[in-house]
Amino acid sequence: MRRQPAKYFFLMPGVVWILLFTLFPLIYSLYLSTTNFRMGREPRSVGLDNYAEILGLDGEGGDDKARDTAGFSVFLSIGSTTLTLVFGTFVAWVFNHDIPFLRQMRAVLTMPLFAAPVAVGFLGVIIFNEVNGPINNILQGLGLGRVQWIIDPWGARFAVLITDVWQWTPFVFIVILAAMQGIPDDLYESARLDTKSNWSLFRYITFPLIAPALGTVFLLRLVETIKVLDIPTTLTRGGPGQVTQTYTFYIYETGLKGSFQLGDASALSYLVVIVAIIISSIYFWRVRARFE
Amino acid sequence: MKTSAKIVVLVTLLLMLTSVANVVVAQETFMGKTAAEIFPIPDVAANEQEQQLAFQALLAANLPDGTALGAGKTMTFGVLGQGVRGGISGTIYFWRNAFEAATGAEMEIVEVPYNELGTTIPADFLTQQYTYDAFIGAAWQYGDWVSNGWIQPIDQWIGDARFPAWSPEDTAPAFRALLQWGGQTYGTQMDGDAQLFYYRNDILNNPDWQAAFEAEMGYPMPNPPTTWQQLLAVTSFFNGKDWNGDGDPDDGISLHLAPGGQGHFHYATLAASFAVTPAEGDDPRAVTKYDNVFWFDPDDMTPLINQPGHVRALEFLQELAATGQEAQFGWQLGEAWDNFLGGNAIATFSWGDVGSLSQDVSRSSIKGNLGAAPILCSEEWYDREAGQFVTSAEAPNCVGNTTGGSWHPTMSAFTDVPELTYYFMALLANPTINFYNATTGWQGIDPCCTYQLYEPRGSAVSEDYTAVGFDAGDMERYINSYGSNVYDKPTYLTYLRIPGTLEYIQETLDIRLSEAMTGQSSAQEALDATADDWNGITEDLGVEDQLAIYQAAIGYSP
Repeated sequence: MRRQPAKYFFLMPGVVWILLFTLFPLIYSLYLSTTNFRMGREPRSVGLDNYAEILGLDGEGGDDKARDTAGFSVFLSIGSTTLTLVFGTFVAWVFNHDIPFLRQMRAVLTMPLFAAPVAVGFLGVIIFNEVNGPINNILQGLGLGRVQWIIDPWGARFAVLITDVWQWTPFVFIVILAAMQGIPDDLYESARLDTKSNWSLFRYITFPLIAPALGTVFLLRLVETIKVLDIPTTLTRGGPGQVTQTYTFYIYETGLKGSFQLGDASALSYLVVIVAIIISSIYFWRVRARFE
Repeated sequence: MKTSAKIVVLVTLLLMLTSVANVVVAQETFMGKTAAEIFPIPDVAANEQEQQLAFQALLAANLPDGTALGAGKTMTFGVLGQGVRGGISGTIYFWRNAFEAATGAEMEIVEVPYNELGTTIPADFLTQQYTYDAFIGAAWQYGDWVSNGWIQPIDQWIGDARFPAWSPEDTAPAFRALLQWGGQTYGTQMDGDAQLFYYRNDILNNPDWQAAFEAEMGYPMPNPPTTWQQLLAVTSFFNGKDWNGDGDPDDGISLHLAPGGQGHFHYATLAASFAVTPAEGDDPRAVTKYDNVFWFDPDDMTPLINQPGHVRALEFLQELAATGQEAQFGWQLGEAWDNFLGGNAIATFSWGDVGSLSQDVSRSSIKGNLGAAPILCSEEWYDREAGQFVTSAEAPNCVGNTTGGSWHPTMSAFTDVPELTYYFMALLANPTINFYNATTGWQGIDPCCTYQLYEPRGSAVSEDYTAVGFDAGDMERYINSYGSNVYDKPTYLTYLRIPGTLEYIQETLDIRLSEAMTGQSSAQEALDATADDWNGITEDLGVEDQLAIYQAAIGYSP
């Protein structure tokens, strides 16, 4: 085979980019996670002590802040992923029908997706305001009383969850709608000879055919919700106490705020990377098992 | 009269008029610029009155020509960011044109949000960017700034005629200490933070409400309250009653208790008189192992935050907060102020901002009805040496505070334009300009100095304040209380300014307090957890290093 040196020239930018901005930070942060590095001070190697302290393998009970924030992240991940998939799929199914003003409504529905999460968080501060916020005013008007969205621990958790679901449902809607519109009409026409039930049509035709798209969206949403930082930072500032502090919020506070404990923060980050790798491996294993 | 004589007279008159006009123009410009150019409306000044008052202050400041220091140069100024018309940062925007006119330099302003103070500026130094020539931060950050060599002393320029005049001697001693470290001056005066007690003077002096209080409580209303326990009785009585006549139940107290909302300052102010004991002997402010210590044991850095006095103080804060809206557990500073300024709360305790903001009728409905008093004492406190609580209603424990940031400029040790930078720092510290700033309210600048206080502590007179539209009675109560608050207390809460102060306070204590205030943990559990957190931080930073700096910061000799 003829050698083509020029190909290396064209490959070089991509290789350099990956080496500099992906592999180097990944390896360097792995190294940092085995040190007690605080910015401004000389790092000292501590082996796997950072991991042991976080996980409680050193016999001292573990990092309770890491445990608590991870708990909220799991709540947010499961809650937001599930709700955005359910709502997004339902709305996509509705919009997959021939209804008036479809295009206009579709454009309006996708708007939250284009707002910066920080702005959405600040918008939430107004919407969930306990004294004058519109949600509480509506609830009060309906005779349901007011909810302490910001100061009650569960109220605050749900305020963050609702805001995240509101912003990301349109993403699921767009992807699933595209998948639904790719299903040939003749499949439905044939099926309607056997049943008039919309639920049966959805269950036996639509759902199986959008399942790959749903799986992809599920994975993307799951990983995305694990990373959520902006909305709780602006909406509740992690409070009351730290009940709405996500795990990534805690990593940010540990590594990049005040104390600059980059060693601890790197170890915390690697634990997320491990979780993300496990989730995606399971997903791709299932996809391969099903489609190959 | 002949025509030629008439012409001579006319020309003479014209010349005289022209020269008079020239004098007027000369008096109404600063370095060749008019008030409208220095303080354009609405970009800098909000209205003509503000423009004229600021311009008068600028002219009276008698600033020296600084063009030799600044022509063609640029200075970068970092500041707590709250916008062009917000607290602290607004001051820098407001005086930028004047500085540029006086020096011929340009100034770039970089705003840093409150919750990023511990990140942005330290990261800039740690990564050796050295973006800022000067920055306004909080006095509690001195421990990090000085020990890392990020800021430099300014003593060599103080009193130099090339710079705007100001004197550290004008600054109240409690605030002056916050500008200094190790006998050297690092900061110029600007803002003096101390929390004092505010109440509704009209309501507490209303005979009908006094009679109602006595009928319900069985004893006369304390007017004004002088102890925390009296305050609790008053706020409990008024909470839920429609005492402002708007048809809705009103509040007893108004506090800002959200995480990141600076609620930990409320705690420190209150807890001081529950947990600090003055020293016996001639000097009640002397720091010993047991007296005048609040944060750590000065012999070994053991946290004192979960001692019985602290726990009782937090329990008391929970009781006090229950006499206000539940929503205050999610309030930031401005929301708590606005609730009081809007006439919906009978009392609050906070910084001097409330005093000046109460006079701004666009934000306040209580002008003319402001009550102010020195920070309250406690009838119950913990004597750590004796290991027991002491109670006395007759001789309560009184501990003052300089709680807060006392925001002021400091100069980077790496600036290329130190003299130009100092020029602006001194401009802000000039008595005339600083006095003006403290009367605006919106700038967040509180009284720091003798020229803002009435006799016998200072040289200000009532007319200084009424001239800018303030109510004489409100100022009588506010300024006198402020002076008493920073001069007259037998002892004061020691100011925590060691490396990692932000971690100790904002990243741990603030969160644990929020947990206790919202019922997620008891006072004891929250403060025990804080103590654990603090031990971890101290170990990370080095116990011996922290101990040495802590002892120096509070003036303790083992």
